[in-house]
Amino acid sequence: MPRNCTLVPSFFFFQRHVRATEQLRSGGGRRAALRGLKVGVRVSILTASGGPVGPSLRSRRPTPPVDLLTNPIVLYLVIALGAVGVCMALPRRGVSPQLVGGIIAAVAGGLIVLVLSLRAARQGGPDAAPNLFFYVFAAVALGAALRVITHPRPVYAALYFILTVLASAGLFLLLSAEFMAFALIIIYAGAIIITYLFVIMLATQAPEAGKEHLLAEYDTVSREPIAATTAGFVVLGVLTAMLLGGGAQLPPAPAADPSQTRLAQLPRKIEQSLRDAGCLKGGGALARSSLGDPVINWSDRTVQIEGPDGSRTWAPMPDGLELSNVEGLGFSLLEDHPGSIEIAGVILLMAMLGAVVLSRKQVEHDEELKRRRAHQLADAGGAVR
Amino acid sequence: MSDALTLAQQGWPAAFPAVTLAHYLFVSAAMFTVGLIGFLTRRNLIIMFLCTELMFQAAGIALVAFGRYHLDFSGQTFVIFILTVAAAEAAMALALVVLLFRKRETLSADEWTEMKG
Repeated sequence: MPRNCTLVPSFFFFQRHVRATEQLRSGGGRRAALRGLKVGVRVSILTASGGPVGPSLRSRRPTPPVDLLTNPIVLYLVIALGAVGVCMALPRRGVSPQLVGGIIAAVAGGLIVLVLSLRAARQGGPDAAPNLFFYVFAAVALGAALRVITHPRPVYAALYFILTVLASAGLFLLLSAEFMAFALIIIYAGAIIITYLFVIMLATQAPEAGKEHLLAEYDTVSREPIAATTAGFVVLGVLTAMLLGGGAQLPPAPAADPSQTRLAQLPRKIEQSLRDAGCLKGGGALARSSLGDPVINWSDRTVQIEGPDGSRTWAPMPDGLELSNVEGLGFSLLEDHPGSIEIAGVILLMAMLGAVVLSRKQVEHDEELKRRRAHQLADAGGAVR
Repeated sequence: MSDALTLAQQGWPAAFPAVTLAHYLFVSAAMFTVGLIGFLTRRNLIIMFLCTELMFQAAGIALVAFGRYHLDFSGQTFVIFILTVAAAEAAMALALVVLLFRKRETLSADEWTEMKG
């Protein structure tokens, strides 16, 4: 079984993948393992598809309500219901049914997620549905996003955007992107939105609670709500259709991390891990090649260690010796995309210069105005005297 | 404690079925749609920029989900660049908004329709 079956349970055919890979790693039954892998891939391609596979190939008939709910027509009707809800929730003049619209949109969103989960259960067994936290974070993220576009007060919209960012960070955690989750909170919620809040508070004078009719007209009345909602939900319908039908075109997920060979660039981590596992007793050390790299046999995951007397032996790599998220991200950023970092730096520099230049011109204009006023006042004073 | 409630994990994650990926992609698509609708309907300049940030966020979720599916770090790397561009965009856009506000004393986008040409 894979190590993290608790978090992301796998398909039966992915279990097959993993089992085949483990056989491959342990060195025994190599050809049989390869055969198993091939069968697993073929099975996964056949069963992961919703559309192209005929009903005769499906192993068991789904129960009628499940079949009805996963019908594309029903799905599009649910999306249309969501469109109606969002359209009602948008701010407008007079009495606006915002709460009702929000509830309708929430029901529609919940139905779509239910349909997706039913499909997952039908195609991958009960284990293919995502973690329970996914539903919590997704609901918070989408609800707060809806509130961002429907709240008439800009400050509250920005605060709801922070809630969206926090929920997205939770989704990133579920996707095992820990570094990005916290970077998102620090940069988005901590820096970008605070800048927005500063500008909102500088630019607008919010009326007190209970005097909402004093809010600016451009905040309380939305522009073309029906046309905009239709356009947006056509986009969502197309994307959902792609999700339902296009899963089959995806290449199957790899059974194991392909970038683990980068561990060879972290000899100290390997050495520390070996020491913790008790493989380096009595003054032994990790054997190094003439270039200073550790000597690793990836096919059976063994590493060469050097005893105190200079004798070299092979030891199995300790369990749990893997690239961490930050290490992998660092390698990906600095080894695979070094040019992009330079471009990102140039973009930031240009934005900084641009912001300074845009603000500076206004200050000059003000000073010019002040000088003219001062001259006028001086002239007026001289005339009186 | 049920297994379904495990948030933290150790080591490299296991493979990820395509139907689970679809959940994350749906959340991403719905969030993008909400941002798009907000950008089209709201008339406050700052809220319109906030909605573009919402769309950036949705793209980031999709990238990380695909990266997780392929067990590849490039998705997360691209999110770093999205963050960079979002920060640059926020700085420029807010400087522009402050400039426009000083000229007309309003945040309404309809005040600047003559820029349509």
